[in-house]
Amino acid sequence: MGLSRRDFLKNSVAGATAATVGLPLSKQAEAAVKAGEAGWQWDKGVCRFCGTGCGIMIATEGGRIVATKGDPDAPVNKGLNCIKGYFNGKINYGKDRLTQPLLRMTDGKFDKKGKFHPVSWEQAIDIMEEKMRWAMKEKGPHGISIFGSGQYTIHEGYVAAKLMKAGFRSNNIDPNARHCMASAVVAFMQTFGIDEPQNNYDDIEYTDTAVLWGANMAEMHPILWSRITNRRLTHDKMKVVNLTTYGNMSSDIADLEIIFSPSSDLAIQNFIAREIVKRDAIDHDFVNKHTVFATGPYDIGYGFRPKNVEKFASADEMEIYKNEKVHVIDKYEAIAQRKKEGEAVEQKNTGTAMKDWSISFEDFKTALEPYTLDFVAEVAKGDPDEPMDQFKAKLQTLADLYCEKGRKIMSFWTMGFNQHQRGSWVNEQAYTNHLLTGRQAAPGNGAFSLTGQPSACGTAREVGTFAHRLPADMVVMNPKHRAHTEEIWKLPAKTINPQMGSHFVKIMRDLEDGSVLFSWTQVNNPWQNTANVNHWIKAARDMNNFIVVADAYPGVSAKVADLILPAAMINEKWGAYGNAERRTQVWRQQILPPGQARADIWMMLELSKRFKLKEVWGEQPIPGLKAEGFADGKLPSVIDEAVKMGYSPESTLYDVLFATPENKKYKWPDPIAHGHGNHVCDLLKDGWFPEKALFEEYRKFGMGHGHDLAPFDVYHDDKVRGLKWPVVEKDGKWVETAWRNNEKYDPYVKPGSGFDFYGNNGQKMISGDLDKSGDPDKKMDISGKAKIYFRPYASPVEKPDANYDLWLCTGRVLEHWHSGTMTRRVPELHRAVPSAVCWINTKDAAAKGLKRNDLVWVESRRGKVKVRLETGGRNRVPRGLVYVPWFDEGVLINKVTLDTTCPLSKETDYKKCAVKIYKA
Amino acid sequence: MNLSGILVVAQSESQAQVVAALNALEGVEVHQVDETTGRIVAVQEAEDIHAEIEGVKRIKAIPHVIMAEMVYHYLAEDERIYEAMPPELVEQQDGFETCAVPAYLNS
Repeated sequence: MGLSRRDFLKNSVAGATAATVGLPLSKQAEAAVKAGEAGWQWDKGVCRFCGTGCGIMIATEGGRIVATKGDPDAPVNKGLNCIKGYFNGKINYGKDRLTQPLLRMTDGKFDKKGKFHPVSWEQAIDIMEEKMRWAMKEKGPHGISIFGSGQYTIHEGYVAAKLMKAGFRSNNIDPNARHCMASAVVAFMQTFGIDEPQNNYDDIEYTDTAVLWGANMAEMHPILWSRITNRRLTHDKMKVVNLTTYGNMSSDIADLEIIFSPSSDLAIQNFIAREIVKRDAIDHDFVNKHTVFATGPYDIGYGFRPKNVEKFASADEMEIYKNEKVHVIDKYEAIAQRKKEGEAVEQKNTGTAMKDWSISFEDFKTALEPYTLDFVAEVAKGDPDEPMDQFKAKLQTLADLYCEKGRKIMSFWTMGFNQHQRGSWVNEQAYTNHLLTGRQAAPGNGAFSLTGQPSACGTAREVGTFAHRLPADMVVMNPKHRAHTEEIWKLPAKTINPQMGSHFVKIMRDLEDGSVLFSWTQVNNPWQNTANVNHWIKAARDMNNFIVVADAYPGVSAKVADLILPAAMINEKWGAYGNAERRTQVWRQQILPPGQARADIWMMLELSKRFKLKEVWGEQPIPGLKAEGFADGKLPSVIDEAVKMGYSPESTLYDVLFATPENKKYKWPDPIAHGHGNHVCDLLKDGWFPEKALFEEYRKFGMGHGHDLAPFDVYHDDKVRGLKWPVVEKDGKWVETAWRNNEKYDPYVKPGSGFDFYGNNGQKMISGDLDKSGDPDKKMDISGKAKIYFRPYASPVEKPDANYDLWLCTGRVLEHWHSGTMTRRVPELHRAVPSAVCWINTKDAAAKGLKRNDLVWVESRRGKVKVRLETGGRNRVPRGLVYVPWFDEGVLINKVTLDTTCPLSKETDYKKCAVKIYKA
Repeated sequence: MNLSGILVVAQSESQAQVVAALNALEGVEVHQVDETTGRIVAVQEAEDIHAEIEGVKRIKAIPHVIMAEMVYHYLAEDERIYEAMPPELVEQQDGFETCAVPAYLNS
């Protein structure tokens, strides 16, 4: 590359940078940008990675992505990008993209023990069809399963959910979002009766305080962090608090860093609540008008396999698993839960952990009484080398912030709260302290659940790709919700299965015990991302089952599969994501997928052509099914009813569910494409536009009850950069909602109420005291109200002991995203952090005769991995805790982690288990 | 070669000083300065991502710099950057090119 070319490039990079951040361009710079970008076609897009949902602009030339930049018009990131977002354009071009279907074969025939060989799409779908039929014949609709994703486009999630729930009558579809924000969902549903935050990112520019609860935003949400940093530097009153189990990059600008011991966030929240009550910092008017106090059972177990666990677990594992039946109260729980130390408590509510009842304010106060500064400081101090007085002073300062009248506070969290054995509780406690002080759903004031995946909100949650959900917050267990869904989907009554399917971890357990025989992985990497993964690898490889993995790159899951399907990536297909602030954003296909790689939506539509109504809508066995209006253990045949509705038993699922007469009215090509292609339409060749048709069908679910979305074309308008739902038509315009439940901003709020938590409209609650619920026949209406929960401290089920003497915490690093299948293909990102390391405190390392860069084993009761030690760098772990990121398949840390979940949300706790470390 | 466009925000009274400090850094050129908002556009040339990130850290450490973020990246194709791929990924590439099945999958 010559000098002049280099200078020219630099000028155009400078010009493009200035334009991106809105600096006026000099004539020269403008000319340089224009010349540098001659022949490039720019279009709006969305970042592929985290849940922040940054807008990016994508330039293509000659069928390739040649540049990306932060979108200056995107309100989320205002032209900025983090290091991962910066390399969006490169993730499609890894050298080892999967480009054709691969099947394990010997002598040209499928063989579970065979090697991978290329096959045609026709052969791939043939074997899937055969194996699905076999699995459903053996086990009924719940013999098949899909591991879905929070990275699904909205359309993909919708097709997957409809195919499974309406077509195959199976609720065994659950997304990796279960690992990521299921606890947040439970807390939203229990507290507010409707999912997702009331607040939005603009709150950062209105607030006086950002409190981070186990969320290292500097590394995991860098763009939002740059907004917080900016606020911290430009607003004198602004304070930043970083609550974490180890010092990290977010501590660098924090005014207060609180290092707490794992799970003690439960105690700290109750300490804050106690101080709010004690100092009467309560917003009485808000609390009286808009809230009700509540609690629930404590004896809820730890989300382990509920039955026959000893058949699958080692003796070492059983030491921990036995807590699922009986848990012995430790000295802290004795105080926190008003019990006796050493008391053996039978876990009676493992199946009914969601139960709750209202309590009086006096009961609420009584429950908080044990959470004194002395007690909580003793439970919570996470750095053994920090003086107790200093730690107590920090907790006091934290409580002072919450008790200061007029101070605006935003609390932020992600995985520290969500991946927690009491994740739903600790989410609810965050709302407790915001609701007590009237700091919710208003500019600058709110408890805000951040998300980790680009469409955990937009797809997994809103579309409802969970084992229990239907679109728009509805659930399969509710007969009214099923009936409403059957009406929109034009299905005979009782088509939808009322029995909840298996959640993500349970699908793995089902594969292990043989109750699920077919599994299809879409847009995620379950055999890398699921805790205690040795069990699940064995289940996939050694059991008689069939594992299909659709992916863009060969990761761990592809390796354990029987059939690999090459998937199209973002920008190779049309799509839409929904971010953490309820913003739905869309993009067009920019480039073609390489080789024979194809969109997941095409794979599902193509498969749906293989199944006829007569095969799937007849009577079906559902072991264990008990529901009103259904015979025990089976789904009725709905074929006669289907015929009455005008369907034929010979109709395929493709015709009945997807290419319906109504959907076929949406024709391809469509002028909204602005000349962009659609490889799905090109392959289907029947003239309809599935992404648009299915989005319009999906919209029907949200209309009129607070989940409203705008029409497909509105999002594709060049001027629109996503819209925050509910999006309601007003004077011919589609208007988004900035703050929900707040009368000033939300059209759904009852006039004159100020705040209206309408998600709970029509809900009724039993009352009770701290220990038990009262008369089930006496219920009170909680319409318009949010719940303020008391939830107690509970110790982690596995704690360090003499043998396994360290806490293990896992998570991400800035440069890599999730299991690294994409970011490790970007050479720049790969070189920045080529492999995972184990951060350890220098003193712990020295005590074990180890030093930086030593190769060590990290071992738990479940498994071990080899990794290098790191004592410096970005993380400062206290004595007693080590941190290992999970992106690296060469350091498969989920062989070590514990498969404990929050019993309410079924979300795994990846943040705490006990390990030992020794030289490899 | 990595070319990055970096937005630097300096305290306005110290802008000239910051510009001088930026220009003194190896591989960094100031291209545009906005006096009213204290914003500076710099272009950094770096050998690889380490140098690129270290480079931004250097910029952040300059006195009176309030903020420095990478904004724009030029996607230069450079085959050498694959050299540092870890063995398991290199192996995948080799396998991929010869038989279209990543060797890693069959190992």
